[in-house]
Amino acid sequence: MTFGIATYIVYIAVSSAFTIWVGRTIYKNGRVFLIDVFHGNENLADSVNHLLVCGFYLIGFGYISLALKLGYDILSGQQAIEALSLKVGTVLMVLGLMHFFNLFLFTHLRRAKLGRREDHPPIGPDAFTSVQQEV
Amino acid sequence: MLALTVLYDPECGLCRRAHAWLAEQSKLVELIFVPCASEEAHRRFPQLNHDLTTKDLTVVANDGAVYFGPKAWLMVLWALTRYRDWSYRLARPELLPTTKRVVSMISQHRYQIGRVAGVNR
Repeated sequence: MTFGIATYIVYIAVSSAFTIWVGRTIYKNGRVFLIDVFHGNENLADSVNHLLVCGFYLIGFGYISLALKLGYDILSGQQAIEALSLKVGTVLMVLGLMHFFNLFLFTHLRRAKLGRREDHPPIGPDAFTSVQQEV
Repeated sequence: MLALTVLYDPECGLCRRAHAWLAEQSKLVELIFVPCASEEAHRRFPQLNHDLTTKDLTVVANDGAVYFGPKAWLMVLWALTRYRDWSYRLARPELLPTTKRVVSMISQHRYQIGRVAGVNR
C-alpha cells in the first residue's frame, strides 16, 4: 500500500468518525429543544430531528467525498501527515460551521415559539366597564 | 383574560362577512359575537355607553377592559392564532397612527365598501 492510498483511508476513517460523532451529538441534544418547540409533541420532534440529522449527514459525507482528491503524489510519511492535517482540518471546520448552523436553527425555532407565547394584549384599553356575570 | 366580546354592527354587510370569516379562524382567545346596542349587549354590559358602540367596532374583555375602534380591531387580530404577531406589529408606535387611520377609514365607509363589494343585503 502506497502512502497515497494510506492517506486516503485514514482521511476517510477520521472524517467519517468525526461526522458521525457530531451528528449523534446534534441528534441527542437537539431532541430536547425540538420537543419544547413542538409543545411536547415527541413524535413530531423526533421526525424533524431525524430529518435535520439526515441533512447534516448528507452534507457532511458529501463534503468529505468531494474533498477527497489530493492532486499530488505522497512520497513520505511527513507529506502524508501534512496532507491529512489539511484535509481533516477543513472537514472539521465545515462540520463546525454546520454544527453552529444547527444550533442557530434550534434556538431560532425555540425563540419563535417563545415569541408566540406572549399573551399580553398589543395595546391598552380605552376604558373599563362592569361585566354582568353569566348565570 | 379568557374571552373577548365583540360588539359588531349587524346592519353592515362587511361586518357580517368579517364575522363569518372570524368564526372559521383558529383562535387563542375565545371571541363572543354580540350585535351592538342589542338587548344582549345591554344585559352583559349595563354601564357601557351603547350609543358609542354603534359608531365603531367595540371589544370588551371579560375583565371589563373596553377597546374601541382601531384598538378593537387589534384585539380581534390578537385573538387569532395566525395574526397575533400582526397585532403586535401594527400596534408598534411607528405603525399605530397608520393602523388607526386605515381602520377608521374602513369603519366610517363600511356601508359604502359593503355596497361596492356586493356583500350588503
